[in-house]
Amino acid sequence: MRNLLDRHILLVTGKGGVGKSTVALTLARRAARDGKKVLLIEFESVSRAGPLFGLDQAPAEATTVEPGLDLMGFDLLYSLHFFAVDQLKLKALVKMALRNDSVRGFFLAMPAIKSILFLYHLYRLEAAHGTEGDGRWDLIVCDMPTSGFVAGLYGVPAMVGQIFRIGPLAKTAEGMGKLLFDPLKTGVVLVTLPEEMPVVETIELRNALRQKHGIDTAAIVVNGVYPTLIESAEMTALSEAVGTGEAGDDNGVDGMLWAAQVLRGRSERAAQLLPQLRRAAGGRLIELPHLFKRHLPLSAIDELADVVDQSTRKR
Amino acid sequence: MASSPNPLLETLDSSELIICIGSGGVGKTTSSAALALLAALRGRKTLVLTIDPAKRLLQALGLHDDDLPANTPLEVFPRMTSALSHPEPGPFDLGTEKAGSLHAMMLDPEQGASLMVERLLPDKSVREEVLANRIYRALLPALSASPDLVALELIADLHRENNFDLIVLDTPPAHNTMDFLQAGQTFSNFINERVLKWFSRVPRKDSAHKRSIFRRGGSVAMSVLGRLFGAEILPDIAEFFYSFREVMPLMRERNEQTDALMRSDVTAFIAVTAPGATSLREAYHLRELLETEGLPFAGFVVNRVLQAPASLSDEETLQQLSEDLQGRLESTGVPTDQAENLAARVREGAKRLHFMDRADRTQVKELRKLAGDHAFCAVVPQMEHDIHVLDELRDLANQLVAGVTEAA
Repeated sequence: MRNLLDRHILLVTGKGGVGKSTVALTLARRAARDGKKVLLIEFESVSRAGPLFGLDQAPAEATTVEPGLDLMGFDLLYSLHFFAVDQLKLKALVKMALRNDSVRGFFLAMPAIKSILFLYHLYRLEAAHGTEGDGRWDLIVCDMPTSGFVAGLYGVPAMVGQIFRIGPLAKTAEGMGKLLFDPLKTGVVLVTLPEEMPVVETIELRNALRQKHGIDTAAIVVNGVYPTLIESAEMTALSEAVGTGEAGDDNGVDGMLWAAQVLRGRSERAAQLLPQLRRAAGGRLIELPHLFKRHLPLSAIDELADVVDQSTRKR
Repeated sequence: MASSPNPLLETLDSSELIICIGSGGVGKTTSSAALALLAALRGRKTLVLTIDPAKRLLQALGLHDDDLPANTPLEVFPRMTSALSHPEPGPFDLGTEKAGSLHAMMLDPEQGASLMVERLLPDKSVREEVLANRIYRALLPALSASPDLVALELIADLHRENNFDLIVLDTPPAHNTMDFLQAGQTFSNFINERVLKWFSRVPRKDSAHKRSIFRRGGSVAMSVLGRLFGAEILPDIAEFFYSFREVMPLMRERNEQTDALMRSDVTAFIAVTAPGATSLREAYHLRELLETEGLPFAGFVVNRVLQAPASLSDEETLQQLSEDLQGRLESTGVPTDQAENLAARVREGAKRLHFMDRADRTQVKELRKLAGDHAFCAVVPQMEHDIHVLDELRDLANQLVAGVTEAA
C-alpha cells in the first residue's frame, strides 16, 4: 500500500471531540520530520495548533512555525480576496468592490461559500506541488470540521459545475473535482475514539463516502486507545481484596478499586471495538494510545508521531 | 441547599427558549435532552429540537424507528411515562404526577429549506418559479450542509406558534456558533433590495418582465459579478433574486423578530463544554462572543469531568494506598510478587487518572470564575457508557442540577 503521507492532500475529519486537530498535527509533524515540506490548514476559527507554537491564532497566510511545517488558518474573507484576484487579475477592482459592505456581505452569505472558497484555495495551493520555491508543499494536511462538511465538500465541484455550465468557473469546478477525486493526490482520514457511537458513525461515514462519492477512505485513526493495564481476571482479585478489612475502615483504598475499574472498563471497550475498526479500515488503521493528558504539548504530539511512524511502515 | 434558589432550575422554570451552544463532541445533544426532560418533569410543556441525535439517545426517548418524520414534534412524555422506574419526585423533578410534556423534533435541513420557501412565498406561481430555478436547485444541497438558518427560522416559528412553554435547541454541530447566531443576518445579506437592484440591470430571459427590471447603468458590484460569473449565467441569478422581490420586507421583519427573540430575557444560552485545554479556550471564546453580541448567557454545563474519589488526591497517598492494596491482596491469598506487581500497576493507573482529575478540577474552578455570580456552572461526571434508557436521562438531569451547587 502507498504511504499515507505521500499524498498531496489529507482531509482529516470525524465526529466532534474525537481529536481531529491532534491527529492532523501529528500527521503533519510526522511528515515534516520525514523531510517533507508540509502545510497544516486549520479550518475552525479557534486555533488548536497555533498556541503550541506561541501563536494566538492561525495566520491567514501560510507561516512557518518550525522547520518543514507551515501553518495557515482558513479565513473566509482572505480566501474570497484570493479567489477574486485570482480569477479577475484586477486587484484594484476587487479591493474596491469588497470594501463595499453589501458586496462583501453578499459574497460571504452565499450558500456553501465556505466549502467553495476553501476548496478553491486548496486547489490553487496544491497546483504549486512539485514546483520550486516558496509556496509549494509536498503535503497539505487539513484539519477539517465534522464529517458532514467533508462529505459536502465532495459535492461542491458538481454544484459549481451545475451553476456555471460554461466559462472559467466551469473549468475550475472540473479541476477541483479532479483533484478531490484523485486517490493518489487526496486522501480522507477519518478520526474516531474507541467508543461505541463514534466507531459506528465512522464506519457509516466510510461506507457513505464510498457509496455516494466513490471515495475510499485513506486511513482510519483511532485516537485515545486505553492500554490494558489490568487483566479481567485481576479485577476479581482486586474487588475481593478491597472488600477485606473491617467495616467502616475508610482509608480510601476503594479509590484504587475505582481507578482499576475505570481503566479496565475503558481498555476493555477499546479492545472490543478495535476488531471491527480494523476490518472497516482494511489494514489502514492507525491506533494512537491514550496519553492521560488533558492538554497535549508538542512532546506528546511527538510521542504520537512515533506511533504513526510504526503503523505507516508496517505495511 | 433547598432554600437558596438554584440558577439552573430558575433557567429551566422561567425561560421560553434555551439554546445550547458549544463545539461538537462535548455531549451537547444529551445535555439538551436531559434539560428538556427535567423541565417537563417540573411541569412545563417542553420541546427539544435536535439534529442527527445518536441512535442510543433516540432509543432512550422511545424513538427508535428509522424513518421518523422530520421537522415534526414527536411525543416522548407522557407517552413514555411507564419507561420511568418510579413516579415519585426525584431530587429536582416533581415526579410523573405533576409532569408537563416533552416532545422531540429532528431537524431535516433540506426539507426545512423547502418549507421555508413555501412559507416565504405563499404565491404558488412565484414559488414554483423559485423551486424550478436552477440556481436554487443547485444550492439546495448546500443548505442541508448548513442547517443554521433553517434551525433558527424553525425555532422562531415554533416560539410564535406558542404550543410549548419551553423550547430547547441543540445547535447544529457542523458549524461554529458564530455562524449560527448570525444566520439570519447572513441570509439578509444575500437576499435583499440592494442585491436585487444590482441584478435588476440584467435583462431577464422572460421578455414579459423585461421592461420592469431592465435599466441602464452599471456598478462596481455588477462589474465584478459579471466578470466573475460570466454574462451567460446572470439572467438565471437575476431570476432567482427577482422571485423574492415581494417578500423581502417580510423576510427582514422575520429576521428582526428572530434577532429580538434571541436577545430577549425569555431566552437563555447555555454553553456546553468538556475537560481539555482546547475546550476551555472554546468556553472563553463563547462567553466573550455572547457578551459582545449582547445575548443572554445563563451558564456552563461541563460534561465528562473525571471526578476521582478524594482519596486519590496526591502521589504520597497513592503510594500508601498501593501498599495497603498489596497487603490486602496478599491476605486473600495472592502470592507476594503478583500482589506487588498488580498493586504497582493499579497505582500507576491511579496516578495517571489523578493527574487528569487535577487538571479537571483546575478547569472547573476557572469556569466557575468565568461564569461569575450571575451564571451557573453545572459539573457532570464522566459516564462510563452511553445513555440508552429514559431513567438514565432523568438521573443525568438531576445530576446536572446537583452539579451546580457542588463546591469546586
